[in-house]
Amino acid sequence: MVAASMFLALKEMARAKVRFALLVAAIALLVFLILFQQSLQNGLITGFIGAIRDQNAPVLVYSVDGQRVVQGSVITPDLEQLVRDAPGVDEVGRIGQGTFTGLPSGNDDGETFDTTLLGYEIGPDGDGVGAPSTVLDGRLPTADGEAVVSDADVRLGYGIGEVVTLLPGGKQITVVGVARDVQLNVAPTLFVSYDTYLDAVQSVNPDAGEPLPNVLGVVPADGVSDAEVVESVNAQSLELDALTREDAAAETPGVAQVQQSFNIIFLLYGLVVPCVTGLFFLIITFQKANSLTLLRAIGAPAGRLVSSLLIQVVIIIGAGLALGTLLYYPVSQQNLGGIALRFEAGAVVFWSVLLILLGVASSLLAARRVLQIDPIEATTGQGVGT
Amino acid sequence: MKLALTELRRRPGRFATATVILTLIAVLLMFLGGLLDGLIANSTGALRAQQADVVVYSDTAQASFVRSRIEPDVRSSVESVDGVTEVGGLGNVQLGARVPGNGPRDLASTVLFGYELPPEGLPEAPPMGQAYADDTLEADGVEVGMTILLGPARSPIEVIGFVSDTNFAGQSSLWASDATWRSVLSENRPDARLAEGVFQALVVRGEAAGDVPLAAAIDDATGGATDSYTVDAAIEAIPGVSEQTTTFNQIIGVTVAIALVVIALFFALLTVERTGLYGVLKALGAKSSTLFAGLVAQAVVVTAIAAGVAGALVIVLDLIIPPGSIPLLVTPARLVTSVVLLLVAAVVGCAFSLRRVLRVDPASAIGTTS
Repeated sequence: MVAASMFLALKEMARAKVRFALLVAAIALLVFLILFQQSLQNGLITGFIGAIRDQNAPVLVYSVDGQRVVQGSVITPDLEQLVRDAPGVDEVGRIGQGTFTGLPSGNDDGETFDTTLLGYEIGPDGDGVGAPSTVLDGRLPTADGEAVVSDADVRLGYGIGEVVTLLPGGKQITVVGVARDVQLNVAPTLFVSYDTYLDAVQSVNPDAGEPLPNVLGVVPADGVSDAEVVESVNAQSLELDALTREDAAAETPGVAQVQQSFNIIFLLYGLVVPCVTGLFFLIITFQKANSLTLLRAIGAPAGRLVSSLLIQVVIIIGAGLALGTLLYYPVSQQNLGGIALRFEAGAVVFWSVLLILLGVASSLLAARRVLQIDPIEATTGQGVGT
Repeated sequence: MKLALTELRRRPGRFATATVILTLIAVLLMFLGGLLDGLIANSTGALRAQQADVVVYSDTAQASFVRSRIEPDVRSSVESVDGVTEVGGLGNVQLGARVPGNGPRDLASTVLFGYELPPEGLPEAPPMGQAYADDTLEADGVEVGMTILLGPARSPIEVIGFVSDTNFAGQSSLWASDATWRSVLSENRPDARLAEGVFQALVVRGEAAGDVPLAAAIDDATGGATDSYTVDAAIEAIPGVSEQTTTFNQIIGVTVAIALVVIALFFALLTVERTGLYGVLKALGAKSSTLFAGLVAQAVVVTAIAAGVAGALVIVLDLIIPPGSIPLLVTPARLVTSVVLLLVAAVVGCAFSLRRVLRVDPASAIGTTS
């Protein structure tokens, strides 16, 4: 029965190539857009808050004035002491952040880039509270004037061994390591020692006073959970805003809005695919009603006709998914205005399953129509074109 | 044409599904456009409001206020350029604002500007400690006469009036004198403190004296110490603006292409279904152009209805989205542009059926149906 259904489905598609090709094209474009935007969303969020999400401090403490923006937060000495004295706190590290104009020696065109510096208090091996979690290549900075960069920045000339000159002032920083997904504000990001950060601020603005730390990284004492430390620190003062690393990343202003906006877009695109598929198969079922009636009259079981319809739905959506993914693959290898896109295999699988299920569900209307065909109509002339 | 419209009126159900799909696509198109407009408007208002011809940053600032420093001697060089009539300093600092009546952790996001040359909608700079606020701050409970406290230093600023569409970097703006700005900056951001007479940027009024554009003449006069832009170019140079615009426009373009394919698909199917009918009409003397015009008329009407419903839905969406969440800005220009794009897609999509209409042979069609 499956072979007969398949034969019927493929024969019909071969005879009406243009209309089926148009449907495949529409679905492919929709799939491409959905997947592209999924990559865009993930790339944007990673570029925006990767340095918060992929550093090693389990808890970050902002000032309430900072409104959960690292550069906007300032921790005064009084507040810092309150954090150090909070119950459940083991280690505390200062973190400072600034945006500078950086000229990487590895850029062949001599381009300058907005460059974020994240200073943390390094230990002898370069580790410290606020260091990048995953170093892919090279090592952590162990001395002033050294930096780890995000992997997305290497292509801009921030590779290991390159020297980044901060303008104006000419402060030089040597790249000694590459870490995974540690950009901040969708700009090249350098993790440096806290003193290197202080020097950088002074070098570009001689009028500047000594900057206070923007954020404190906190490691809970043994047996104390991250959530307990957050509660403990926040209880110290209404001016302190402690967050777990995950919350700090998710609640950075702009992240939730980006996700909400994309979710609405995904919902709308997700609705369009089954609507287009359902409409298409409903119309062609109407159009071929007479042929279907004849087939039923000469003994074709209704199940075979419905199977044929569903086979077409799966083939068409499958072809649309394959073509859309093929279009998406080269685009997902690109960088878009500083946002490193990535091929999201999980998204491909998720949307493939969802769209096939929705497509099949939407074609049930057409299947119902097929099941309603009464073979006797072939003998009355009502259901068959004369 | 009349026949086509009568069919639409008498058998609306036949077009309902296509209308629903097109409505979804139109909502997508308008939502994407509104999102782009909202993002751009929220980031660029302060520069759009400048009544100036050129914005001057320091050479390494990459058009960023916080990284730019214009020293007094550089300003003098700018003032001496032929064609320059007025020069004003401009600077900003982004700080959280404590609004009376709000919770201790419930701060408003603000950016305080210090200005010398008044932007559009603003008078001369107010006295020390006072500022005009962007009216988006009303949603945070800010009122005229209220004193809000900026930053960790709790710098008091009295709001003396409101101005519209002047936000910057997604933050609500406050407009004060350069002295107020300098004092607030120094109190709250010691690492960004600027000496007396130093500004982050200059706004310049005037016109080019010769063939060289004013921005280029200024950069020449300062020996390359400055990086000058026309106001439009300065807006484009704000980090992220051109990238956002390009990306969103590409997505909008592909969405229009999808609308085109959907319309083409629907009317191609409809045309196949009506082949016999078209044969009869042709036998009765109807021209191919008349039949095709009817098809286009149906596509335009279906698209117009879908666009109308979508426009209403997007306006409702705009009203129910709480301020400060999704940056959606629905403007008549955006709605009209989206409708026009969809109508063009409808007409082009219909063109795919033209060949099929032309191919209908009256004789064979009558033969089949009789």
